[in-house]
Amino acid sequence: MAEDDSEWVVESIAGYLGSPEWIIPVTDFMENKCTVFDEEDENKLTYTEIHQQYKQLVEKLLENYMQEVGINEQQFLDACTSPFARSKTLQTVFQPVLATDDFQMFRSLMVQKNMELQLQALRVIKERNGALPECLTDGVDVMTELQQQEMRILQEVLKKSKEEYDEEMSRRLLLEEEVGSTSSSSSDRPMRDSVEAQKAAPAATQQSSTAKAKAEGKGESSSSSSSSSISSHQAPLMNGNTATQSELVNGKPTRKEEKKMAAQGGGGDKKGPAKSSSSASTKLPSERGSNCAEPKALPAVRVPVKGSEPSASSGPSSKEQSSNSQTAAEMWLDEARKEAGISKPYTELTASQKEQLQQRALYLRQQRDKLQALKKEQQKPKLPATPEETPTIPTPAPPTPEISAEEKKKLQKRKHLAEKLKEEVIKK
Amino acid sequence: MASYQVSFPPRKQGLLSVIQKLKGATEQELRIVLLGLDNAGKTTLLKSLASEDVNTITPTQGFNIKSVASHGMKLNVWDIGGQRKIRPFWKKYLENTDLLIYVIDSADKKRFEETGLELSELIDEENLKGVPVLVFANKQDLATASPASEIAEGLNLHTYRDREWQIQACSAVSGEGVQDGMNWICNNIVNKKK
Repeated sequence: MAEDDSEWVVESIAGYLGSPEWIIPVTDFMENKCTVFDEEDENKLTYTEIHQQYKQLVEKLLENYMQEVGINEQQFLDACTSPFARSKTLQTVFQPVLATDDFQMFRSLMVQKNMELQLQALRVIKERNGALPECLTDGVDVMTELQQQEMRILQEVLKKSKEEYDEEMSRRLLLEEEVGSTSSSSSDRPMRDSVEAQKAAPAATQQSSTAKAKAEGKGESSSSSSSSSISSHQAPLMNGNTATQSELVNGKPTRKEEKKMAAQGGGGDKKGPAKSSSSASTKLPSERGSNCAEPKALPAVRVPVKGSEPSASSGPSSKEQSSNSQTAAEMWLDEARKEAGISKPYTELTASQKEQLQQRALYLRQQRDKLQALKKEQQKPKLPATPEETPTIPTPAPPTPEISAEEKKKLQKRKHLAEKLKEEVIKK
Repeated sequence: MASYQVSFPPRKQGLLSVIQKLKGATEQELRIVLLGLDNAGKTTLLKSLASEDVNTITPTQGFNIKSVASHGMKLNVWDIGGQRKIRPFWKKYLENTDLLIYVIDSADKKRFEETGLELSELIDEENLKGVPVLVFANKQDLATASPASEIAEGLNLHTYRDREWQIQACSAVSGEGVQDGMNWICNNIVNKKK
């Protein structure tokens, strides 16, 4: 009978030690007081004072609880000395209680907590400053798996629409060439060679031929790679290719980078803020709004592309890499489809499935915008960024997350120190 | 010597004393406090007890703790800094102490009086009532060191009636005499506690 009693008491107390009523004040205390606890062999006099405060806190908490539940001290003692309470798992649960009477244990708990906070702070610093190579691997922990997946899906969706856009544009251009007129005015592509420039035709023609191309493009889906090779030589498409490429380049190396790029997608990269954002953000809502049934027609995209000037520097390189990025984009897309549980290629999807995907894209975009806003807020508290309100107007590229070499050095040094300390503590 | 209530062993009342019992149930532990003036050699003695290197010791600003296994018991030795400005903190470490080790620099004759005063203050501490005292007459390796018997006389150790006491000549640097002191602890404290 007595043993049954003690078992109940132990379980009750163990339950309390896992409840927020216990965890919150104790964790609070430790986080507030742990900063002075370091790895020095010698203890500071303040440790004793803090230990004393800790004892008082624990005693108060436990006494309140025991009173509430109706456990007296003898029961508590009996329970804690019972074999049941001496099991390994319960011993760890009781550790914070035992730390009241064991300074060494208390100290190691505090040192560990301090270490955790330091590492956390390091991560935050890195996150803010970005661009440290080491932080890229570290950043993985920060993102949950779900977030990662969402980011990947977002990227796939963006890539897919980019692809379709390219396809459509090339189709349109082919058609125009057949008709004997091209769509591009000289202002659209100052960097293109003269041969193409000479083919310039009135913009009115372009609009009509575009409509045709749209109609033609509906039924077809698989010729993206072949058409893209053509498109890469066409001026208007360069914009699109550049964006796709930048997404790919930035999206591949690490998850962290992906996240960042996705977050900055609306803001665009330094080269041409209008481009990537126009394809990504303007299309999705417009598609959703009016063209759910035919997502391949992307009327809204053309406007910003036309308005934005092609970037001179990115032209040649995008030409060279566009075919590569196209195939890569297909692979990514396939993956995304598998992840989404959709086995058919995008163009064969039912309207509802497409809509689903678009909704997802929209949702992801909102998430991204929020993320971006949050980041900006952290970086410049004085400048409240509102990317949600102006999705079509590309926000200026955020200040490149470069930090001075000195800061970098300092960070590395700190990180190194923290790792070393961590190692030592954990080994103990 | 006003109130003479025997409150040994459980001085602490309330829940924490329960927690204490709970921990001490498996393993016999002894709490030992190591005190003395600055530069007496407390930390050196501590490290010598723990078989650690004694060549890189600097003045203690806070305190050090070492756990030493001896005669089937766990001795938790607390070495608290001896500088004048730290001494007021000593009494915060005296609670539940099983043994006081007091260390004296046997070659520092000029401060014999000072160290004697500090010791007598400790002896009067409520928390150390009845607690055995082991005095280490340290630095016997120095030529100018006074012999232990002389120091014992200067400290009036023979007048202590309310507790056991012992003086042991030693050199923390060479380790000589340290083990003899530990043996005394074992014979007089550990065996009685068991």
